[in-house]
Amino acid sequence: MSLMSEEGLRVDGRRWDELRPIKIEVGVLKNADGSAYIEFGKNKIIVAVYGPKEAHPKHIALPDRCVLRCRYHMQPFSVDERKNPAPSRREIEISKITREALEPALILEDYPRTVIDVFIEVLQSDGGSRCAGITAASVALADAGINMRDLVAACAAGKVGGRIVLDINDEEDKTGEADMPVAYLPNLKQISLLQLDGKLTLDEYRSCLDLAIRGCMSVYSLQRDALMRRYFASEVDV
Amino acid sequence: MMMAKRSSIIVEHLKKMQMNELLAKGKRVDGRGLVDYRDLRIETELIKKANGSAMVSLGNTQVIAGIKVELDEPFPDTPDKGLFICNAEVLPTASAYAEPGPPDEDAIELARVVDRGIRESEMIALDKLVLISGKKVYAVFADVSVLNTDGNLFDATSYAVVAALLTAKIPRYEVKDDKLIVTDESITLPINTVPVSVTMARIGSSIVVDPTLDEEACMDARITISTDEQGRVCAIQKGDSGTFTIEQLEYAANIAVNKGNEMRALIKSLCKLG
Amino acid sequence: MREFRKYVLPGDVIVENNPHVKPSMNVVKIDDRIHATRVGIAEVSQNTVKVIPLSGIYIPRVGDFVIGKIIDYSSLAWTVDINSCFMGYLLAQEVFGREFTPSRDELTSKFNLGDVVACRIVNFDRTRDPLLTVADKDLGKIGDGELVRISPTRVPRLIGKRGSMIQMIEQLTRCKVIVGQNGVIVVSGDRDARSIVVKAIMLIDEEMHTGNITQRVKELLGGAYQ
Repeated sequence: MSLMSEEGLRVDGRRWDELRPIKIEVGVLKNADGSAYIEFGKNKIIVAVYGPKEAHPKHIALPDRCVLRCRYHMQPFSVDERKNPAPSRREIEISKITREALEPALILEDYPRTVIDVFIEVLQSDGGSRCAGITAASVALADAGINMRDLVAACAAGKVGGRIVLDINDEEDKTGEADMPVAYLPNLKQISLLQLDGKLTLDEYRSCLDLAIRGCMSVYSLQRDALMRRYFASEVDV
Repeated sequence: MMMAKRSSIIVEHLKKMQMNELLAKGKRVDGRGLVDYRDLRIETELIKKANGSAMVSLGNTQVIAGIKVELDEPFPDTPDKGLFICNAEVLPTASAYAEPGPPDEDAIELARVVDRGIRESEMIALDKLVLISGKKVYAVFADVSVLNTDGNLFDATSYAVVAALLTAKIPRYEVKDDKLIVTDESITLPINTVPVSVTMARIGSSIVVDPTLDEEACMDARITISTDEQGRVCAIQKGDSGTFTIEQLEYAANIAVNKGNEMRALIKSLCKLG
Repeated sequence: MREFRKYVLPGDVIVENNPHVKPSMNVVKIDDRIHATRVGIAEVSQNTVKVIPLSGIYIPRVGDFVIGKIIDYSSLAWTVDINSCFMGYLLAQEVFGREFTPSRDELTSKFNLGDVVACRIVNFDRTRDPLLTVADKDLGKIGDGELVRISPTRVPRLIGKRGSMIQMIEQLTRCKVIVGQNGVIVVSGDRDARSIVVKAIMLIDEEMHTGNITQRVKELLGGAYQ
C-alpha cells in the first residue's frame, strides 16, 4: 500500500510537514509532585514526577547533586499484540535515553543528596511514543517545581515513501525508510536526544534533523500553552 | 511494586483524633456516611488498540484497565473452555511509597483478589469462548494498573476490569474445515453476570465502606466481599492483621449485597448499559 | 531599567544584555541572558531579577518556622517529616537538656510517632539534614486542631503583607491559625468556623495568582457570620 498519495498526502491524510494532533494536560495525578498527560496522535501517555526526595537506598545518592531516574514503561494493552508487563530491553533503552534527554535541562546541583523519579506510563502506543514521553515528562518536571534551565520538546522526523516527513506514526515506522527521534532545548538551542533508525544520505540527514527541530518548536508552543493554562488563568501579563 | 505499607504511613495524631471523634457520630472526615461510596467515574473504550478498556476514578483513586483478546490453545484439562487471565499492578506513579520492580505481596494479593471476584462469579461464560474444541479458544487478558492511590484499590480495580469486560469488542470467527476465518463482525464477550466487590474497613468498632488512604492507615482490619446479580457471595478476602467478630462479618455481608446492588446499577449506567 | 512583572516558564528569557541587573531567586544567567528556572511570576526591579515560583516542594531555610510530624526515633533523636525532600532531626539532648542519657530518658515520654510538632530550623546546609529545635514558647507538640496542607509557594500569600491576610482570617472567624513555612497549617477553634477557614485556605492554594483573592476570602469568611 502506498505511503504517499499522488497529492502528497500520507496514510492518515497529513502533509509531509504536518504533526499529528497533540493535546497536553498538566497536573493530572493527585499524589505526584508533578504530572502531565499527553495525546500525540494515537499515543496516550501519562507521566508522574516524584522529587526531589530522599534517596533510598542511601548509597545511590551523590554528595553534590541530585540523581535523576527515569522509567519508560508500556501497559500490556497499549500495543497491537499484548505485551508482557515485565520491562523489555527496548523499554530499558528508552528509559536511559529519556533520562539523558532530560538531564541537561535540570539544575541538579540545587538538590544534593536527593533523587528525582520520572515515571512514564504508555497507555496506548502508536509510533513516536518516546518523543511524546519526553515532552510530557518535561512538563511534569516543570509542574513539580524542579529548577530547570529550559523545557525539553521532542519530535521525530523520518523518510517515508522516499520523502522526508515530520512525525512518523506506527504504520509509517513499520514500512518507512528512516526514523529520527530528536529532543531539543528550545531557549538554549541544544539537542539532548538524537537517534536514527534507517538509511539517509548526508543531505537527507540534514533536512531530517532540521525538520525534526521545527517539529520540536511546534511541540514547545503546545507545552507552553498547557503550563500557562494550568498556572495562569489568562495569558495576560500580570 | 510496593504498595503503601500501613506501617510506613504514620498518620498525624491530630488526624486520628478527628477521625475517631467523627466516627463516634457516624460521620467521616470527608463528610460521607459510614456506608457511602465516594464519587465514581468511569470512561470506557478509550484505548482503541485494546479490545476493551476503562478508566475508573473512585474519589482520588484512579485506575485503568485494558482487555486484550487473543486466540490460544485451551488448558489440556478444560478443552471446552476459553481462558481468562487477570493481572493487577500498582504503578510507581500511584504514590510516593510505590516503587518500580516486581510486585510485592500486597500487589500480588490485589491481583489475585480481583481475579477471584470475577472468575468465581463466572462473569465470562468461558464455555462460549471455544472456537475449535481442544485446539483454539479465545484467551481474555485483563490488565489493570493503579495510576493514583487514595485507598480502596480492591474495588476500583475490580470495577475497572468489569467495566472494560462489559464494553469489550472481539472479532467474530467462523470455523470452516477446521480452519478459522475472521469476519468483519465485532461481538461482545459472553457475559453471565456482573460481579461487584465491596470493601470495608474496621476502625475501632466502626465499619466503613470504601476507605480512603488515611482511613486504611488507621484501620484494624479490612474485608472485601464480591457478590453476583443473584445476591450470592462469590469471593471474600479478609486483609490486614486485625480481626472481625461474627456479628461484624454478618453486617459486612449484608452491606456487600445491598451496596453491591447499588454499585452494580451505577456501573452499568456509567458504561451506558442500562 | 523599567520595573515589570510577567508570567514565566522555565527557560524563558527575562532580561538580556543588561549587566546592571543581578540574578536573584529562581533564575539562571547563561551568557548575557537571564532565564527563569521555574513556573512563576518574574519580578524585575532596578537591579535584580527574580521569579516567585508557583510550584515546588519546601526547601528548608535556617530560621524557618515549620510544622512537622514525628515519624521515627532512635535512642538519640526524633526524625521529623517536615514536608520536604530532607528529613528534619530533633535531638533528644535539645529537649531533655544537657543531662540527657539514653539509658534513663525515654524519647517517647516527650514525643511519640504521629505527634504534630511546631519547630524552628536551627541548622541546615548542603552537607547535612536540617536540625530542629522546640526551645521557644510558641514551639512544641500541637495538641488540638485540624491539619491542612498547601503548596509552600502559597505561604507568603496566606500570611499576607505583614500578616494582614492571616490576621483577617483569625479575626473574622475567631480561630487560631498556625502556618508553617513548609506549607503545613493547623487550624483550631470552633468546629464550624474551622471548616470555613479550611475552605478559605484551599481557595488561596488553588487561586493565589488571581486578582481579587483578598476580597474573595473576605466574602467566604464574612458570609458565614452575617
